[in-house]
Amino acid sequence: MGFPLLSLIILTPAAGAAVLMFLRSDDAVRWAALGVTVIDLALTVVMLAGFDTATYEMQFTETRPWVPALGITYALGVDGISALFVFLTALLGSVSVLASWVAIDRRVKAFMISLLVMQALMLGVFSALDLFLFYVCWEAMLIPMYLIIGVWGGDGRVYAAFKFFLYTLAGSLLFLVGVIVLYFHGGETFDILVLMDQDLPFGVQSWLFFAFLVAFAVKVPMVPVHTWLPDAHVQAPTAGSIILAGVLLKMGAYGFLRFSLPMLPEASVYYSTLMLAISAVAIVYGGFLALAQDDLKKLVAYSSISHMGFVTLGIFALNARGLEGSILQMFNHGITTGALFLFVGLIYERTHTRSIAEYGGLMKVAPVYTAFLALFTLSSMALPGTNAFVGELLVLSGAFGANLAFGAVAILGAMLSAAYLLGMYRNIALGPVRVSAGPTLRDVNAREMAAILPLAAFVLWVGLYPKPFLDIIDTSVTHLLVEVHSRGRGQ
Amino acid sequence: MSAAVLYQWVLASLPEILVVTGACILLIAGQLIRRGQEHLIVWASVAVVLIAALATFLLAGEVRPAYSGMFIVDRFAVFFKFVFYLATVLTFLLSRKYAEIEGIGISEYYVLLLFCLSGMMIMASATDLLSIYVGLELMVLCTYVLTGFLRRERRSNEAALKYVILGAVSTGMFLYGVSLVYGLTGTTALNGMTAAATGDPRDPALLLAVVFIVAGLVFKIGAVPFHMWLPDVYEGAPTTITAFMSVAPKAAGFAVILRVFLNPLIAASDVWIIVAAIGVMTMALGSFAALVQDNIKRLLAYSSIAHAGFAIFGVVAGGQDGIASVMLYLLIYAFMTLGVFAVVVMMRNGDFSGEAIPDYAGFAKSHPGLAFLMLLYLFSLAGIPPTAGFFAKFYVLVALVEQGFVALAVVAVLLSAVAAYFYIRVVMVIYMREPERVFDPALTPSVRATLALTAAGTIGIGLFPAWFLRLAQTSVFGG
Repeated sequence: MGFPLLSLIILTPAAGAAVLMFLRSDDAVRWAALGVTVIDLALTVVMLAGFDTATYEMQFTETRPWVPALGITYALGVDGISALFVFLTALLGSVSVLASWVAIDRRVKAFMISLLVMQALMLGVFSALDLFLFYVCWEAMLIPMYLIIGVWGGDGRVYAAFKFFLYTLAGSLLFLVGVIVLYFHGGETFDILVLMDQDLPFGVQSWLFFAFLVAFAVKVPMVPVHTWLPDAHVQAPTAGSIILAGVLLKMGAYGFLRFSLPMLPEASVYYSTLMLAISAVAIVYGGFLALAQDDLKKLVAYSSISHMGFVTLGIFALNARGLEGSILQMFNHGITTGALFLFVGLIYERTHTRSIAEYGGLMKVAPVYTAFLALFTLSSMALPGTNAFVGELLVLSGAFGANLAFGAVAILGAMLSAAYLLGMYRNIALGPVRVSAGPTLRDVNAREMAAILPLAAFVLWVGLYPKPFLDIIDTSVTHLLVEVHSRGRGQ
Repeated sequence: MSAAVLYQWVLASLPEILVVTGACILLIAGQLIRRGQEHLIVWASVAVVLIAALATFLLAGEVRPAYSGMFIVDRFAVFFKFVFYLATVLTFLLSRKYAEIEGIGISEYYVLLLFCLSGMMIMASATDLLSIYVGLELMVLCTYVLTGFLRRERRSNEAALKYVILGAVSTGMFLYGVSLVYGLTGTTALNGMTAAATGDPRDPALLLAVVFIVAGLVFKIGAVPFHMWLPDVYEGAPTTITAFMSVAPKAAGFAVILRVFLNPLIAASDVWIIVAAIGVMTMALGSFAALVQDNIKRLLAYSSIAHAGFAIFGVVAGGQDGIASVMLYLLIYAFMTLGVFAVVVMMRNGDFSGEAIPDYAGFAKSHPGLAFLMLLYLFSLAGIPPTAGFFAKFYVLVALVEQGFVALAVVAVLLSAVAAYFYIRVVMVIYMREPERVFDPALTPSVRATLALTAAGTIGIGLFPAWFLRLAQTSVFGG
């Protein structure tokens, strides 16, 4: 065990939250929160720089006893599947602080503390190698997120916060029972790596698969348990939406990759068609819902459902292109949708409306804003040269490899996304100027630029030269697939 | 009987003797004390408990049976006694200011709590149905009186009367069950019963006896179908007594239940099916009924019913882990419940009762620190990690799954999702509503101390459960 880098990455925001409690002025709180998240981001870059792409083994591992009587350890580690998400979480952490700079004007300290605690827990979820630790982080996130939505959200925030809380809680409690069952079948350990090597009977795998599915499907969210998402997104403050869409949604899909596939390979293979079907439904259904929205945030929220459908489609295609594509697509979705929510937040701060119909001709008033909006809109609809194109192409080719019909349905979804995104862009940016704030609308300032630019850079970097990202993912995915197919052959 | 044996017996029950002696002295001293000096009584009571705790700790080294098999001091009893000490001391600390505000200026309040404590201690150590009965009666007689302590308030009178009548009925049932057992086996000692039984687990007379004993005990922990008294009593009693009753007597009831139910005789009679049904019904009723409460004391009353249901699942699981899980659950429950009640007690100031949930609107704005503590306790009660309440539930679930009760575990988690709703509803009122009034909580140093201790327990056991888990596991009787 070398230098505990992952612990440091997780503890930095937690310690930062503790420090924030002693600060008095709001500005000091903002700068301190930004400082903490930037340091954390730098640490994750150090982690990625030292990441060995040649091995599928867990790296930067740490193990400490926690509750020895029950075989619970404090175990951390990352592999190609989780490394990118650790980085993404830290990146969006900084962006969220910047996005809340002026948008949050009351109880700033409590907000920033919630944000930092949230970040520590999310990082914990992605680097936990112990199921108990994973579950603790996964569930504890409900507390800060409940507060972020419920205290700083819009008018319907209380309802949205409740809905978010109860949906997620009910899902994860079943997951908890599944975890305990797994614990006893796996020789009384919560060690994820040991549990991956168990050969469970198919009956047990089936039950566990569905217990896990409930928890993960709520988080992704998959149709039909997606209804909390639009409410939560619309009511959440901008930073809350960025975190929800950028990181929280990834956790469900990450759960499939980390637990369902390697621990329950037979069930995963057996039920893969079912999962493909649900994913295809989500893609198309989410697309149609997005098409009908007038509220900007709702549109992006429904588009998330559709895009996350692509992710689960890629996972359960169970081939290399599908899996790599879906992991990359999760990263892309975090960047692009995070950026889109940021843009909705920026314009909302100025005009206090999210209705698409009340906008028009923004290009003439705020040219920089609309230019970047164009970039992220195009990225969201997967135009070649942007990040999502690479991911979506891989997912689609994987899906066609697995099942022709679902691949074809997914293509339909891709077309829908072009329709609603272009429609939105046309209404907002083009045509005669029609903004409630009038022609005096302020364009983006330097602070906002600082939040936008890194996201824009990743859109183009992944779009034009995805190799470094795919390299990180590749070895782990190949190994995972070998494991799944060799042990899932029983069917 | 030689003097040496007598000495051993006295030594075994020394903590009980200390508490009773202290209570008697305070009863007299309380009459002599001048007005304005009441706080001396409080500190003297705390001192009595601490001395008893010290004696318990020093004598905990070995297992000491005493009084011809009626009484035993083992690690199991010691564990529970410490839960009682904790609850009693914290209740004393909370009571001082509250008693002043409510006009409870008399020393009997503290004396009765001490007698109640001694009754619970006897229950934890009792190994004979008769000594259980003695402890039980001593405990409940004191709580009857304490419930009615707000003499000028109708609710309090009503609660006390209800409690006495229903309590007497349940005690009668318990005694009837004991008499049946005696008729069947010729003994009331828990150990002796097994040998004397016919060996037929479905002996109808035995089943009847078990049902009566179960009914008597279930009443004390407020489980369905003997729960009706609980919300009224909790609402009517002085808030400090509500806090005390929802923790200590409940733990004492579970101590007895564990001893009696996991006795070979009763374990043989397939009683766990009844117990499992009681657990499910208790938890369901507590969780659903709490959804519609507007009074926080009633809400916490139903919440305590729900928690009793969850702890019963640990009894159902049985075995080493099952017993340990119930013990750990009760310890953690003591911390978080006393924490919530500390806040509720503190709200009572001047003409403000702080009992209606909407009264808490916007509390987070004026008192962020206290509101955060409240959030901590409530999320802990809801069982959200990383608080201790999660670990308590988690360990019960582990015990259930270990014994193959997966379906029960699923029921338990679904019902706790329901229960989570009403806890976070209170959080919502505290954090997401605008304040309607100026808060002036009666935050005395002793209340602060209570809050600090309960918060440390709630978050500390949640983050570092290992030591407490070992403590519970090594305190299981027989091991």
